[in-house]
Amino acid sequence: MSFLIPCPNCGSRDVNEFAYGGEIAVRPEARPNVRELGSYLYFRRNVAGVQREWWFHRLGCEAWFQAERDTRTNEVLLTERPRASRDEAPPGPEAPALPDTPAV
Amino acid sequence: MKDVFRQRRMWRPRGELKRRYDVVIVGGGSHGLATAYYLAKNHGITDVAVLERSYIGSGAAGRNTTIIRSNYRTPEGVAFYGRSVELYERLAAELDFNLLFSQHGHLTLAHSDRALITMTERAEVNQLLGVDSRVVDRDGVAGLCPELNLSREVTWPIEGALYHRRGGIIRHDAVVWGLARGADRRGVEIHPGTEVTGIESSNGRVTGVRTTRGDIACDTVVSATAGWSTLVADLAGVPLPITTHILQAFVTEPLKPFLDVIIVSSQMHVYISQTDRGEILIGAEIEPYTTYLGTGTFGFLEDSARHTLELFPQLEHAAVLRQWTGLCDLSPDYSPILGVTEVGGFLVSCGWGTYGFKAAPIVGTTLAELVATGRTPELIAPFTLERFSTDSLVSELAAAAVSH
Amino acid sequence: MRLPPRPQERIDRSRELTFFFEGEPRHGFPGDTVGSALFASGRRVFSRSFKYHRPRGLLCCSGQCPNCLMQVDGVPNVRVCTMPLREGARVRGQNVLGSLDRDVMSVVDKIGGPFTPVGFYYRTMIRPRRAWPLYERFLRNVAGLGKIDRGAGRTRRFDTEHRRVEVLVIGGGRAGIEAARAAAARGEQVVLVDEGLGPGERAAGGSFEVIAPARALGIYEGGLVPVDAGQVLIRFRARRIVVATGAIEQPLVFPGNDLVGVMLPGAVRRLTDEWSLRPGSRAVVIGADERALSVVAELRSAGTEIARVVDLRAESPRRIAAEGKKGRLASVLVDGEGLDCDLLVMSGGRQPAYSLLAQAGARIEYDAGRGVFVPIELPASVEAVGAVAGELPSGATPAATYEGGGKARGKCFVCVCEDVTTKDVRRAIAEGFDSIELAKRYTTVTMGPCQGRLCQLPSVRLYARENGTDEAAIGRTTARPPWAPVSLGLLAGRGHEPARRTSIHERHVQLGARMMWTGAWRRVHSYGDPAGEVRAVHEAVGAIDVSTLGKILVSGPDAAAFLERLYPNRFGDLRPGRIRYSVLGTDAGRIMDDGTIARLDDDRFYVTTTSTGADVVSEWLEWWNAVWGMGVEVVNLTGALAAVNVAGPRARELLGRLTDLDVSNESFSYLDAKQAHVAGVPCLLLRIGFVGELGYELHCSSPYGEYLWSTLLERGADLGLRPFGLEAQRVLRLEKQHILVGQDTDSESNALEAGMPWVVKFDKDEFVGKWALEHVRERGLRERLVGFEMTGWTVPPEGGQIVVDGRPAGRVTSARWSGELRRAIGLAWVPAALAEEDAELAIRVDGRLEQARVRLRPFLDPDGERLRS
Repeated sequence: MSFLIPCPNCGSRDVNEFAYGGEIAVRPEARPNVRELGSYLYFRRNVAGVQREWWFHRLGCEAWFQAERDTRTNEVLLTERPRASRDEAPPGPEAPALPDTPAV
Repeated sequence: MKDVFRQRRMWRPRGELKRRYDVVIVGGGSHGLATAYYLAKNHGITDVAVLERSYIGSGAAGRNTTIIRSNYRTPEGVAFYGRSVELYERLAAELDFNLLFSQHGHLTLAHSDRALITMTERAEVNQLLGVDSRVVDRDGVAGLCPELNLSREVTWPIEGALYHRRGGIIRHDAVVWGLARGADRRGVEIHPGTEVTGIESSNGRVTGVRTTRGDIACDTVVSATAGWSTLVADLAGVPLPITTHILQAFVTEPLKPFLDVIIVSSQMHVYISQTDRGEILIGAEIEPYTTYLGTGTFGFLEDSARHTLELFPQLEHAAVLRQWTGLCDLSPDYSPILGVTEVGGFLVSCGWGTYGFKAAPIVGTTLAELVATGRTPELIAPFTLERFSTDSLVSELAAAAVSH
Repeated sequence: MRLPPRPQERIDRSRELTFFFEGEPRHGFPGDTVGSALFASGRRVFSRSFKYHRPRGLLCCSGQCPNCLMQVDGVPNVRVCTMPLREGARVRGQNVLGSLDRDVMSVVDKIGGPFTPVGFYYRTMIRPRRAWPLYERFLRNVAGLGKIDRGAGRTRRFDTEHRRVEVLVIGGGRAGIEAARAAAARGEQVVLVDEGLGPGERAAGGSFEVIAPARALGIYEGGLVPVDAGQVLIRFRARRIVVATGAIEQPLVFPGNDLVGVMLPGAVRRLTDEWSLRPGSRAVVIGADERALSVVAELRSAGTEIARVVDLRAESPRRIAAEGKKGRLASVLVDGEGLDCDLLVMSGGRQPAYSLLAQAGARIEYDAGRGVFVPIELPASVEAVGAVAGELPSGATPAATYEGGGKARGKCFVCVCEDVTTKDVRRAIAEGFDSIELAKRYTTVTMGPCQGRLCQLPSVRLYARENGTDEAAIGRTTARPPWAPVSLGLLAGRGHEPARRTSIHERHVQLGARMMWTGAWRRVHSYGDPAGEVRAVHEAVGAIDVSTLGKILVSGPDAAAFLERLYPNRFGDLRPGRIRYSVLGTDAGRIMDDGTIARLDDDRFYVTTTSTGADVVSEWLEWWNAVWGMGVEVVNLTGALAAVNVAGPRARELLGRLTDLDVSNESFSYLDAKQAHVAGVPCLLLRIGFVGELGYELHCSSPYGEYLWSTLLERGADLGLRPFGLEAQRVLRLEKQHILVGQDTDSESNALEAGMPWVVKFDKDEFVGKWALEHVRERGLRERLVGFEMTGWTVPPEGGQIVVDGRPAGRVTSARWSGELRRAIGLAWVPAALAEEDAELAIRVDGRLEQARVRLRPFLDPDGERLRS
């Protein structure tokens, strides 16, 4: 119940209506070796600054879109529907979710 | 008793930075200070500077919900955190500083058959490794915490729980101050208000750090910076598999003793304890999106209040006094990342998610040993950064992250 | 005793209210607060302090300080000075052993000893360690204020309201009202909220809405302002937020400054004006601005004798000390001059109430000229007006603290909430807690119920003086929301969690089913006899409600290619009317879900998922569709469709009674999908066999679910049909070694190690997870999911450990007694070396090791003859 995200379809909505899909990682084009695969799967830039990322409007239009957000302020600078093309950067590979184990 | 009235400085006032130290520790939290303390105490390495951007304990060390436990899922995790609890139990006497470690037990509630299986798995692993942990049924839960709402007419009825008798809460600031005092008295220098702006290396080895108060030469840099780990490791050119998220907590106004055990419900993303000051302390899960902005959200208060009242309807009139937020460094498998990196002399303690504070003494002893001997202690060998490049994760997650 | 009626009084003297204090009846008037009525009844001691149990009386009388916290109607920590009086209210003191007037614990104040210096608990009770629990028990019992009734339940109904307005004004003082009027005059839609009861009158005639008493709890991200309006929590989103929260009178710091009878000017003003009470008979007034000193006139009008007025702008006394008898003010010493009095009005200036602005992102700076912190650089769309913006009289900076005069040795409080004295703060500094944030945590100044309202500024002033620096260099501690304490009940609103029931739910209840949770769904555990239900499926026919399965329609010209790319199994060559099973994996090769996929025609596939996986899988499909931009549409039909699985050797016979479809094995074979009417209901029929017997899953529109179910039960009765629940299903599927994703798999499991290499088509060009699985294949399997049967009769616990050399080496994920096989069976993850037929496993059961043997093939009907029959 905090910052607002302008959904490209529905307009400005509370962040809690959305599912976060992670920063956009670059999926290897050819078969990666184990190290490269680990790098793609797990390593993240985790910037303190503007990050391009995936969001899904779960309690709205149920569409995925991309956003640019400043992780220092949570200001969402831009949102847009993904450009439908095979060359487009693929998603962060693992949907983040809350674990089964307790936080503490 | 005499010491009670004697005013003695906890630590020396901050001095000038030297041009060179054997070891520079980035981060004046529980991990950084513990590493400094054990370097001095166990290995006689005292030419150590702890650099802290703000004041000591200003980050996760002073913002966590202070729960100490070792009832983890993986054998690696149980052995590691088990040793940590043992060290915590002795730490007050060792530091001659009361850490107010209150071991009233820890109950992780199971609200479904599936959850009970996970609890059983943890209890069995724990018992095999000598950690006091067992599954209790509804009656057992009622006996341990009669205040809990055990009615079946709730959204998530309680089916049982994992009971960890030695789990408890501790005064987090006292841990920071006791370690800082212990390190300071052995000659370690603590430099609050000192931000690291660069890490120098040559031929793949660390040679020094740049700070807002001048440059320092050194052979070893230990980063213990939790939510900011990515940014510090970036300075050394080391990528990390972590993301930074906020975790929130709040306390109520002080109340007379109501709850002794710690109650955790992962189903409802809430954990509840009562501090020695009488405040009910309530925490939640991390927010799913990454962020470095540590402002609290109102939705957290609403969700946590709703879940708390499901468990303790008596707390309807307890009033929230203040909420706060900390940054968490989440690793893909919920296990920590400890030890060496591809840059020689650059060591990390990160990837803690929400578990970091529980591990402070064991991180301190093992990292100090690694610095002193150059060898990775067996206890932390499973937690190397390298595991993400060799497909050898140590997963504390029970269910797949995508279907919980 | 009340004064004669006064012009501004708020009480309605025509009617009397009766309430109870410690069980004794007391009286007040409508318009009173519990606090004013108690004061009128002669009560002066309202609480006992946190640590020393010193008697405390009304100080601010405006809900800021902790001095009037009481239990009212069982609710702890109520600020009675602002709590409107209700007929029959039951009021009690709290944090006392004995009574408010005679509190045994006040001995702590007298003897002092080791339990008083700041941080004493860090330095004591360390040895012996075994004695600590006793010490701790004592500490816990003396800490805390109000009591929670352990047996209480939820009593009140709270609601949450969402509102959007153009302008939200917080604070109904003069500046707030003016701002609201001005905005309304410009035609803006305005709402004003105020903590008190007053603004209603002041706002009269304004064309804006007033909500009072109501407290803004914070200004959160996205401009969210939650407002506590009693029984309703209003979540405001405003285009513009005007903060007019005014300023808070600050106490002076001198010995005895907490005695009963020491008050802030605002308290005196409210007691006299609003409730026509005389705050004392003889008063000393010490203040630094007109507002503080003007109470002299009010006091005189109330008949209070003025002993002395000290205008800090004109004179600067070096020593001030208050002395008392039994905790109540008796005299004041000003630079040696003793003045008998029972009321001391003090004011250390007014601090802008900036917390909301700070939370919204304003910068807060110390203004040396005015001696207070003021907000600057407000964030966009937030404004500050009036005193909070720093519009205060200048020169209101009084000296920080005062030494005691002469013999005065009283305690000098910086923080009344936490009983922290100047001596404590000095000690903290001397010990090295020299930054304000460290000192806050060590002394706990600003961490009490007033949230720093009355102690932030005095402690910063003291710090500056002790450290030989100025207030600006010391800075302030972070103000933490919420701005005012708010009850968990109000925050929780009407507690409800999403829970899902199938359209057949009521029928199960009528059949006496025992329900259980799976994810958000309520499902049938059993109808009382799981073993009998299993038998019915093996020997006759059973029916289970599987409406909870995820049901997703994937359609479009690229649908086949899309699924081919996403799933490890092959779907491009699946013929219309045929079904294939697959797990669904991530790029890390991990199993996230599983289910069957039926090809309905060239362009349409019917994808089923696990019960808990429907939403996750549908989001996952949507995601990849967004990435690849293929000609595919994904529609999640889970809630729209009901499903019943009819299974058992007589399932065909039953189905044949209800449909015109040719159900012979030749024309409706295993893994066929057909559309037909069953009992007149349009259905999609999937011939699959999770439970291991001949079976049909009937999917239909949810509204028909109940009818279809009832008809099946009715028409199958003579065939021996029994409804069965999840427990029976678990046994049945375990006999076949069919896995449950999430129970038999965890966050690391992949299809190869889970024993399903046949699902992974490595010869496909690509599929999600292919690379990772190739690496697994190359490195070799580390562990394996295998079946096992116990040598003895014991059923091991699910979650039980496979033990090798005394160490955990694997785990049991599923285990049941199979009546059909007459033995205990299960699934377990074991080290790859043990994944061989007949390998011996040691499983820990109740602390002992029990023997089991690995079984790699289904326990029952390993060749699937029953399924295909």
